[in-house]
Amino acid sequence: MKPIRWIFVIVTFLIGIGAGLAYGWIIDPVEFFDLTPDTLRADYKSDYVLMVAEAYRLEQDPGTAARRLAVFGAQSPSAIASDALDYARTNGFSDSDILLLQELVTAMQAWSGISP
Amino acid sequence: MKRFPWSFLLALLAGLGLGLAYAWMISPLRLTDSEPSVLRVDFKDQFRSVIAASYAATGNLPRAEARLSLLGDPDPIEALNAQAQRTISSGDFEGADQLAALAADLEHGTNQPPQVFITSTFEDAKPLNVEVTVTPFPSPEGIPLQLTGMPEIFETQIVETQPVPNTPTPRPTRTPPPTQGAPFRLIAQDTVCDPNLPERLLQVIVFNSSRRQLPGIRIVITWDSGGEEFFTGLKPELGNGYADFVMFPDTSHAVQIALGSDIATDLVPPACRAPNGETYLGGYKLTFQQP
Repeated sequence: MKPIRWIFVIVTFLIGIGAGLAYGWIIDPVEFFDLTPDTLRADYKSDYVLMVAEAYRLEQDPGTAARRLAVFGAQSPSAIASDALDYARTNGFSDSDILLLQELVTAMQAWSGISP
Repeated sequence: MKRFPWSFLLALLAGLGLGLAYAWMISPLRLTDSEPSVLRVDFKDQFRSVIAASYAATGNLPRAEARLSLLGDPDPIEALNAQAQRTISSGDFEGADQLAALAADLEHGTNQPPQVFITSTFEDAKPLNVEVTVTPFPSPEGIPLQLTGMPEIFETQIVETQPVPNTPTPRPTRTPPPTQGAPFRLIAQDTVCDPNLPERLLQVIVFNSSRRQLPGIRIVITWDSGGEEFFTGLKPELGNGYADFVMFPDTSHAVQIALGSDIATDLVPPACRAPNGETYLGGYKLTFQQP
């Protein structure tokens, strides 16, 4: 085989790789299911934290709130609540929602200080 | 005649296969912006629990409904009821009650307005105009509800903002689980002759004092030679407070709620006549309620 022909074979091979990647990443990417909450989009995460804050307002149980926030994995509950508060402030959440999140952040910071 | 370019075809197929293997198996796209509907089942349960707890706190049904829709359950009410049953079996009666309450309110609706939290304490603050606007939940995308309590804050006072006259009144939404000290009353005992039901069927429905059906209530039935226990809530499609038992023919049964209740006695399956003249054994429907 001539060298120039080898070059065409290699180029064709690379085109095949490119087509495979495009198909596998863009046209028909792997479908995901059974995911963990840390993969959620930021607005869904923030809304979950807001739900925890709403429940905390009634229950006043920081341990339960921290357990609910623990679904997001490695971060501390206060960091999770702080992230949600930052998101709420920059994305037009209502004042009452921000207030609830502030209360949750304060509670989680205090709880982190006393929990073992 | 020109030869078919097998080498090119093989190179293309090999490259394609390699690319697909890399894209699908070795390094699939990392998903970082997923939706709640693709969460693992146990995390969906956790989501439902928190939605129910949040609803118990706020009473905001449209918001709870919109949040539940994100989970993609074919029937959110059935999913809530089923989870309530599982929660009971794990001993979390408060969580089960919250789930059952949300399911019941979704099913029957509620006239109670959402509870608005605007009672907060600010240091160095003084209120001026307070406006409360309750906007119905727009869409799952707009999850942050426009539930706007806007205390305007100025200087040097500790203040609790007051709701304007049209502020919805906060309401209790949680129902404590029944206790030993709250005996149930037998408020109805009906003979049931329905050929569409199984013969000798004893149906029991248990309500709390606010007419909400109570799941997980242990019911004791006894007869001359023995006894058995059964529980409400195992057939949520018939109601959270529903339970049934097939009685023995020609036998007198007595039924009471284990927590303490009136006793329904002399329950012998009654003889009934079908429209075609045949006779069969009917049943009873007992209704208990906390006073």
